[in-house]
Amino acid sequence: MKHLFTLTMLCLMMTMSAFAQRAVTGKVTDAAGEALIGASVAVKNTRIGTITDINGAFSVQVADNNAVLTVSYTGYESQEVAVGANTSVTVVLTENQNVINEVVVIGYGKQIRSTLTGNIAKLTNENVKGMPVVSLEQAMQGQAAGVSVESVNGKVGAAARVRVRGVGSINAGTEPLFVVDGIPLSKDARNTYGAAMNPLADLNFNDIESIEVLKDASAKAIYGSRGSNGVVLITTKSGKSGKGQIELDMQYGFSKPTRKREFLNAAEFVELFTEAANNSDDLEGVAYDDPNSWTEFVNGRFRRYSGFNDDWMTGVDKTNWQDEAFQDASIYNAQLSMSGGNEKMRYYISANAGFNDGILVANHLSKDGARMNLDFDATDKLKVGVNFAVSRTDTRTVSDDNAFSTPMQLVALAPITPKRDEDGLLYDRPVTTYYNGLIDVEDATRKVLSSRTLANVYGDYSFTDNLGLRVEAAANLYNVRDEARFGERTDVGNDSKGYGQSVFAGATDYNTNAVLHWNKTFDSHDLGFDLGTEYFKSNNNRTSVEGEQFPTDELKTLASAALIIAGTSSEDNYSFLSYFGRARYNFDRKYLFNASARVDGSSRFGENKRYAFFPAFSAGWVASEEDFLTDNSTLSFLKVRASWGQSGNADIGNFRALGLYAPGSYNGGSNYTPEQIANPDLTWEKSTELDFGIDWGLFNNRISGEIDYYIKNTNDLLQEVPIPATTGFRTQWRNIGELENKGWEFTVNSNNLVGEFKWTTSFNIALNKNKVVALADGQDIIDDGGSRYLNVVKVGSPIGVFYGAEYAGVDPDNGDALWYVHEEGGDPNATTNDYSEANFVELGSPLPDLIGGIGNTFSWKGLTLDVRFQGVSGNQIHRAGDIFMSCNACWFDNQTRDQLDRWQNPGDVTDVPEARLGYSNGDIGRSSRYLSDGSFLRLKNVTLAYDLPANLLRGVRSIRLYATATNLLTFTKYDGWDPEVTTDFLANNTTYGIDFYSAPQPKTIIGGIRVGF
Amino acid sequence: MKNLKYILFSGLLLSSVACDKKLDIEPLQSVSENLALDTDANVKLVLQGAYDNISRDGVFGGNMFRDAELAGADGEVRWVGTFGDPRDIFNHTMDAGNFDADNTWGDAYATINSANNVLSAISVVNADDQDRVKGEALFLRAVCHYELVRIFGKPFEAGGANSQLGVPVILTPTRGVTDASYVSRNTVAEVYAAVREDLHEALNLLPEDNDVFANKYAAAALLARVHLTKGENAEALEHAEIVINSGVYSLVSDYEDLWNQDDNTEETIFGMQVSNQDGANELVTFFSIPEFGGRDGDIEIEQKHLDLYDPSDARLALFYDGNGATRTGKWRDQYKNIPVIRLAEMYLIAAECQARLSQNADDYYNAVHTRAGLAAKTNVTLNDILLERRLELAFEGHRIHDVKRLKGSVDGLNYDDDKLVFPIPSRETEANPNLQQNDGY
Repeated sequence: MKHLFTLTMLCLMMTMSAFAQRAVTGKVTDAAGEALIGASVAVKNTRIGTITDINGAFSVQVADNNAVLTVSYTGYESQEVAVGANTSVTVVLTENQNVINEVVVIGYGKQIRSTLTGNIAKLTNENVKGMPVVSLEQAMQGQAAGVSVESVNGKVGAAARVRVRGVGSINAGTEPLFVVDGIPLSKDARNTYGAAMNPLADLNFNDIESIEVLKDASAKAIYGSRGSNGVVLITTKSGKSGKGQIELDMQYGFSKPTRKREFLNAAEFVELFTEAANNSDDLEGVAYDDPNSWTEFVNGRFRRYSGFNDDWMTGVDKTNWQDEAFQDASIYNAQLSMSGGNEKMRYYISANAGFNDGILVANHLSKDGARMNLDFDATDKLKVGVNFAVSRTDTRTVSDDNAFSTPMQLVALAPITPKRDEDGLLYDRPVTTYYNGLIDVEDATRKVLSSRTLANVYGDYSFTDNLGLRVEAAANLYNVRDEARFGERTDVGNDSKGYGQSVFAGATDYNTNAVLHWNKTFDSHDLGFDLGTEYFKSNNNRTSVEGEQFPTDELKTLASAALIIAGTSSEDNYSFLSYFGRARYNFDRKYLFNASARVDGSSRFGENKRYAFFPAFSAGWVASEEDFLTDNSTLSFLKVRASWGQSGNADIGNFRALGLYAPGSYNGGSNYTPEQIANPDLTWEKSTELDFGIDWGLFNNRISGEIDYYIKNTNDLLQEVPIPATTGFRTQWRNIGELENKGWEFTVNSNNLVGEFKWTTSFNIALNKNKVVALADGQDIIDDGGSRYLNVVKVGSPIGVFYGAEYAGVDPDNGDALWYVHEEGGDPNATTNDYSEANFVELGSPLPDLIGGIGNTFSWKGLTLDVRFQGVSGNQIHRAGDIFMSCNACWFDNQTRDQLDRWQNPGDVTDVPEARLGYSNGDIGRSSRYLSDGSFLRLKNVTLAYDLPANLLRGVRSIRLYATATNLLTFTKYDGWDPEVTTDFLANNTTYGIDFYSAPQPKTIIGGIRVGF
Repeated sequence: MKNLKYILFSGLLLSSVACDKKLDIEPLQSVSENLALDTDANVKLVLQGAYDNISRDGVFGGNMFRDAELAGADGEVRWVGTFGDPRDIFNHTMDAGNFDADNTWGDAYATINSANNVLSAISVVNADDQDRVKGEALFLRAVCHYELVRIFGKPFEAGGANSQLGVPVILTPTRGVTDASYVSRNTVAEVYAAVREDLHEALNLLPEDNDVFANKYAAAALLARVHLTKGENAEALEHAEIVINSGVYSLVSDYEDLWNQDDNTEETIFGMQVSNQDGANELVTFFSIPEFGGRDGDIEIEQKHLDLYDPSDARLALFYDGNGATRTGKWRDQYKNIPVIRLAEMYLIAAECQARLSQNADDYYNAVHTRAGLAAKTNVTLNDILLERRLELAFEGHRIHDVKRLKGSVDGLNYDDDKLVFPIPSRETEANPNLQQNDGY
């Protein structure tokens, strides 16, 4: 592919012919003196040209001493060299700093950015390399306009949610399609125990050459039914011909939580709960010393929580339970890579190993892997290659946020409770208020072992200079094994003498594609066609066994379970078959046109709608190539572009279109009952997207950027629609409803200072407005009706909008919590202390209006400082766990210290109602009391690096010492732990911005050394 | 053009990658509808599935019976549980969103759909088994229509036109949602006509012995019940006697041994099979206490009911005290069968019909009465029989229906009060605008 591209470039450089008279030889190198192989050397104004060989050398015929050589190489600034009388020249090319001429990977091909008519964000290895985070998505965070990345939790290896241009679906998938070297990877979590884990955590992002995010319809329509949520194309590194290079990178560091909350100490705990009990007694008119009083009850509880003694009276703190939830976390990563090759063969080989401790106690992930990418020029016309990678993660997970056993729920325990009894045994109920999650740390293991083999082979045959065929076959074998074992003291294993489960979940995906590509340049016309077909098949299976009654906790496998209580297996398959084509044309690189289409068929859809067609059109005008702008010294590049297209969402689960019977049992025999009614018309969700963009460059493209406006309408949303139950069924899957995302994106890349002291800035910001346009006929809200959480789907509002009662603070006269009544047509300021009288209103959106990031790189001599901020703005977060920990002592959960601001006397003005033990006074989840502004600006990454000067190096090519910190500073008004949050057990399409005992993000500092040989 | 050759060659290669057949993927945990009805064995599995449907909690898994007792409580039982929906049934304050009403509606129609699917594929069944399979499906369809019309329609008025709204009669399987799926309610008369037709056909088709599944006598027993509901005393008596005189069933000598059984007793004509593997017994969930696998002891038996018994009545001895209240012993233990129709009911139907037809009912009455350890009576009256029925069949889901049939009252509400008819579930009226809501909702 690269050669094809170079050839095209060459054609462009060459114009009418001239006579050859004498030979000029030379060498082309990069700034470091390394030979550049395959650089094109053309004699200006002639058709003569050549390509440099393995040593970077060339020989070319020139007419006379006036000849000028144009030397170009992908990714480097082209250079013109006057030959003069020289017979030999050395050309040193500098790397191309401007983005406008970079090469971007598009679906099934590559293109120069200046000729693009779609919107594609590109990140390179430099953007992600060495980041001390687990997953690729986290490494991408804040670096691409309109690409939102949110780690749902601070648990190591936790799922990361990626949204390109907003949330695109209610019931179907919302993640972009991740394609690694041509094979789509599923982002479905496959672990059974603990919180959902990120299945892409095993990918070694240091191997990545580039990440392209296809954002607009013209870019992604080539991915048809799977493109609606955007496409993330990941290309791993390939070797370059030339001397072998070895790089070793090692880093070590540690992590801490970004923030802790403040909880009551022992004295405050006793004070507040005594007061709460007194208040409840006052309310009931019971004397405090009455044996049935709340006050006596509380004293009994204090005694119990102290371990059945009176230590609570001393006011001495026994345990800081929040501190117990966290651990000293360390991180270690090592990378070794080798690359090189000759004119026939190029290789890139790497190996990585390392671990990341989570900041939560007993949360740990280690990962390792290896990769080998080989490219061969089998003949002049045939190139073949193979990419092969194996990777593995080994995670000790913790429970999801909703479990008493998750470390963050330790904060509920009383500060007067000691951790262990006299025998050193961890206290459990009744001494601890709830199950002591530390018992899980000692007596339970939840291991998730994933392994992946990614293999891809390709052949690329050039029939002629213009026509070629590329065939690719890839496989992704992904297995996850869960080994869970709960000892006798754990809450899971205590009524069954220990409990164990072993689950094996495997996925085997195959993908093959073939693309015929044709390019021709004549005069000023540049024309290209691609025609291709693709077949994808996925097989997923799962087997599990559960056992109880273990002789001792030391025996970990189910071999020692006296009782096997359950065992099951299941299997699922789905497939896609696609045909696609693309045509592009540009005139003089000035007028650009692009059309693409894909026809997709999938097993997931109904017989009548099995195939769908996804077209896209786009056009661009490079105004800066017009005569009236070519001489403009300020405006060096200006392109306007527009695109329209359709893409689909097929991430809806298998077999929803079919009429199905489910197996069941009755009277000890098996049977079939109708399970799902067929909808042969069931089809893809479709997005229609319009995009207008301006690409610009100033001062010889030292400053460049993009501005985009888009409107994306998703209709035919997949919904489970109620049907008459007289049919025997209650719901049917149908395509109904509409969702809109529209917004602006701005990016700026600037070389502020060039020269010895360099300063570059890259900035991106995106505004997105999400709106549910329509649901099923007559339906204007999807609300589970629960009392704890606020997210609903409501017509006219963003998906997941917070909807509930509006909290009106505290009645200064009596300490009652108040809500606004919000009676339609009534007094807007009317309040009530009766929650049931409060009408629900919209309280804010969990989705940010604005996301962005800014990175600055300063370099001087060998020193480089990289500073990158990331932020979101305009969203609210629901501190759903605060109904327990910030409820003005409604029950015995330890309270956050802000609850000391409770109302105490008539006239007190505060937001915290009077403390009343056992009474509900404002502790309602479904109200705005627990909403906080979720905006934040975060110092996402700071790296200071020092490259040792060449004269200090002995026997090595380079040495870089560096230190990196992530999440070092966070500026936010958020009252909870960390504003980058959605509790893991509720993380789905319609729930965003819920904090429920969710682990904060880690703050990580590492030091590292990178040595090149 | 040389390129043409390459393009043709490549086209060949491209198309060989793909093949439309590769999109035909069948699920492995479920079976698609065309396969489920294509063999003798599969159709029989779907018939088994219809029993699975009817064993669910909304129908014969217990909640339907529980609700009949709560609606007809009249101070004899008391709902003290935390669930709001049964409480509303108990208090006669239901609204159309009531979950239990919806559940019964949905489970009953799911059973009807399963039965209709079996009936539609009867030709696939082995010739020897066609009568049995068809008879069972008709029985299950009839019993669901009968229960639905009793719950969601105004009572059958003997001798009346019965043009009051009943429930939709569904006689075809659902293969897709079409305009025809948006059905209207049939009249009570139409529903009973459909029930009668199905049961008479089932009676002719079913064998005498059919394991725990519906047999000839289950159809006869149900017909006796249906005719009794309609006030057709001679026909009710005739069908009750078919069962009584068959010799297949006999009364369990010790009343206590009727209950909390893993298997059908010799008295059970049709019963739900419950084990720790499958089946549901929600009567235990709500009538029993945690010690035996119940919830919180949500239903208590009141003194008013206990006062109805003779002190030496064996049925009185079945009550027990637990969690601070009196409980019925009929639904005490987890994972036990639910007798749906039993022989004692046939004796009582026969006796009642004899009395109504001015015949001597002593024999049938005393068969049940003496089994409870009580002395035989002579010249029993209709009131004797009705009281006996009330005691013998207490908490088995008959109460509200007997009140309606006998034109009584409950909690001050007349037998035909709007509040004693369940609402058509609001989920249903929203999904299907053709369904008219009952008065009072």
